[in-house]
Amino acid sequence: MLTKNQAQEQQLQLSDPIDRRAPLILGNPSFNKITEDICRPIEGKTHVVWWLYFFMAASILSILGGALGHLIYNGTGIWGLNNPVGWAWDITNFVFWIGIGHAGTLISAILFLFRQKWRTSINRAAEAMTIFAVMCALIFPGVHVGRIWVAYYMLPLPNQMSMWPNFRSPLLWDVFAVNIYGTVSVIFWYMGLIPDLATIRDRAKGKIRQIIYGFLSVGWTGSARHWMNYEKATLILAGLSTPLVLSVHTIVSFDFATSVLPGWHTTIFPPYFVAGAVFSGFAMVATLLIVVRKAYDIEHIITIRHLENMAKIMTVTGSMVGYAYCLEFFIAWYSGNPYEIFIFKNRAFGPYWWAYWTMFTCNVVSPQLFWFKALRTSPVAIFIISIFVNIGMWFERFVIIATSLHRDFLPSSWFYFSPTIWDILTFAGSFGLFFTMFALFLRFVPMVAIAEVKSVLPQADPHFEGEMPKDDPSPAPARKAVAESEEEGDLMPATAVARQGAH
Amino acid sequence: MSESHSHARELTPGDLRLPESSLFARLPAIGGVIGLVGLGAAFGLSSADHHRIDFWMSLLTAFMYFLSIALGAMFFVALQHLTRAGWSVVIRRLAENMSMSFPVFLALFVVITLGSGHIWHHWMAEGAMNDPVLKAKEAYLNKPFFFIRAACYFAFWLWASWFMTKRSASQDESGDVSHTRVLQKWSGPIVVGYGLTQTFAAFDWLMSLDPHWFSTIFGVYYFSGSVVAFLAFMNLVIIIMRKGGILGHVVTTEHQHDTGKLMFGFTVFWTYIAFSQFFLIWYANLPEETIWFDHRMHGGWDKVSIALAIGHFVVPFLFLLPRPVKRNDFLLGLGSFWLLVIHFVDIYWLAMPPHYVDGLKITASNVAAFVGVGGLFLAAFGWNLRQRNLVPAKDPRLAESLHFQNNWG
Repeated sequence: MLTKNQAQEQQLQLSDPIDRRAPLILGNPSFNKITEDICRPIEGKTHVVWWLYFFMAASILSILGGALGHLIYNGTGIWGLNNPVGWAWDITNFVFWIGIGHAGTLISAILFLFRQKWRTSINRAAEAMTIFAVMCALIFPGVHVGRIWVAYYMLPLPNQMSMWPNFRSPLLWDVFAVNIYGTVSVIFWYMGLIPDLATIRDRAKGKIRQIIYGFLSVGWTGSARHWMNYEKATLILAGLSTPLVLSVHTIVSFDFATSVLPGWHTTIFPPYFVAGAVFSGFAMVATLLIVVRKAYDIEHIITIRHLENMAKIMTVTGSMVGYAYCLEFFIAWYSGNPYEIFIFKNRAFGPYWWAYWTMFTCNVVSPQLFWFKALRTSPVAIFIISIFVNIGMWFERFVIIATSLHRDFLPSSWFYFSPTIWDILTFAGSFGLFFTMFALFLRFVPMVAIAEVKSVLPQADPHFEGEMPKDDPSPAPARKAVAESEEEGDLMPATAVARQGAH
Repeated sequence: MSESHSHARELTPGDLRLPESSLFARLPAIGGVIGLVGLGAAFGLSSADHHRIDFWMSLLTAFMYFLSIALGAMFFVALQHLTRAGWSVVIRRLAENMSMSFPVFLALFVVITLGSGHIWHHWMAEGAMNDPVLKAKEAYLNKPFFFIRAACYFAFWLWASWFMTKRSASQDESGDVSHTRVLQKWSGPIVVGYGLTQTFAAFDWLMSLDPHWFSTIFGVYYFSGSVVAFLAFMNLVIIIMRKGGILGHVVTTEHQHDTGKLMFGFTVFWTYIAFSQFFLIWYANLPEETIWFDHRMHGGWDKVSIALAIGHFVVPFLFLLPRPVKRNDFLLGLGSFWLLVIHFVDIYWLAMPPHYVDGLKITASNVAAFVGVGGLFLAAFGWNLRQRNLVPAKDPRLAESLHFQNNWG
């Protein structure tokens, strides 16, 4: 719940003032209050609701284990794949999950380069989500080979049989692209975590906790020199991650677009897939954070303004996706190629019409609702629409894959794809992995970038001349003393020095 | 690096108006004369073969080139309102004035219509529709609809640029923040309209030169190049103005650094789009698509294609990457000039090959038309610079822009 003061500032934010910039974090909190608010969930006793959530997620994860075990024992025959549709839910799920990840990288890299300071409240959780989404995605290419014990064939490893993957195949480029993406995302995320892990270390009361977080924070002291290196590394990693936001889904789109299959081969695929990925990623970030901000009482840090900005990005990217859907249709007609025309007509009005229009409604129509301010500032509305977008983006990949395959050039081989229970359980189970990881993240890692959020508070400005906000009364006096002596005394002035030194 | 920051705090009346003696104030006269002479020369010097197709194609190429700068400017202005940008307020008026050149382009388009039957003769000529592939697209590729669409594009561009500039200029007088509110509100729909009109304009005026060929990304391709060209032109204007003592204390190295970064970013974006288009067509190797690149792989066009890859990507990428380059007037100016040149090569490469199938040819008329359309564009820009303040003097976010610093590394 917001305090009166915070609620007033929220009103200011929502009025979208033109003569000044509304504060990003509500209630003019002190540095200490930010630390307290973010550290509370990882330092207190585990909440019963967390346990409930964790067990639910872990149960679903166990379904994944069962489904994969069954798959490995019996082979991909347990899925609904058939002759023309040799690729269905497995690749759909892969593309779906990889796409989800893109929001995290966009927020931490591109929004950083664009000086979008509001990203500081959401980047940590979004990047974590990226990593978990990549983990979920990697399952599918790994298991869809059927013989999982030879999954390493996907990598170009020298072997006595002189067998190599096809270097001309975008599927191999995908292996490279996704692995680079996963690696860089983990490095970027972890590097951003170091100052915050050091905060947890400094506040730790138990020995084990101190050792673990001390190990993870790799000797961070918060000196000006450390901050200088940290800021330089952030800039370099942001620069390196920015092309990755585009390259990964570009390569994924190549899996389809380099073929000559009508419905797959079209030149707009790369940017269209990237826009769709960012779109679905923001939807997932919104879905998660709307719940998290409420559950952990950090509505003054992840404010409605943050949600509104995410809603706007969903409208932009959703409209780009809509542009691509319509252009594909137009150019299919304009090309005069009867096969192209057939496949698009078949998409919209053939046996999969229901999937196509689900996709179109969820992805193109629903984000347009955010043109209304009342809807894009309502957490409930954003939550509902973001779920629709998630559904729509899954269907997009399914529509692209299944409708182009199920009626190929030879009408006698036309067929309809229906998933088996194992298709469904495997996909559902991947959510178990995602949510289990997210639960662990919420419990053990600061879910908001403490140091970065502090840097957007007014008093972090080197030219700040007002009065420092008073510390709120802290529930645990002993802890407050630690925080004041070690945290506030050291970290923030050092940041300010580093920032001044950097330009 | 604090010595490189020139801290402007207040606007002086002298900052707002163009000195009569400056080159920019004389642009309407100089540009107008150069423009008319250039266009005349383009006609006079052109070969009379094939209904003076040399002249018509030269005119179309120059038109599409300078139009891309105006479109880029309009997009930039709308984007600043859409994102509530503060840093760019001091340079926004320059972009507004560039986007106010659409009347010139409308006039030029009217001239182009006179030669439309020759320019787009592959589908406009008598009997073109006997070709079954073209017959299939007749519902789109027919003269009346073509001109109706062109009218819609121009109506939208004229309205949107006028609307945004007018509102912004009225605010100079009243200081009323409601103008900002209205602009923020309308910038969303304007960007949507912009996206659609420029996509289909690129289809109509460039892609349909080769009416058999199609590429879904083509609109995005033209867009990416247009933003690069606009930013390069913007950088040159800023640098030349500041050298001449105009806006010297208002627009700083900091703003230049940012437009430099954007230019760098969009150069990479152009490459991404150009590569996507080429690569997917090359890889799939379908004759109906590869024919377009095939024209550009022979008879001298192959060298242009390679020059584009190097000149529009490798060179500017390596050159513009270091931070000091973007903060140096001469080097950023050089990079911007280079991109403006190579963007012309790009447009030339898009437009000309269907007509010069025998091989690359650069004619006197090509050059004269470029000078002519460029002169008229500069005249319109100069005329607009004189019409209103150089800076949105009472923009509510002016102070933010005046104090702007690149302090994130």
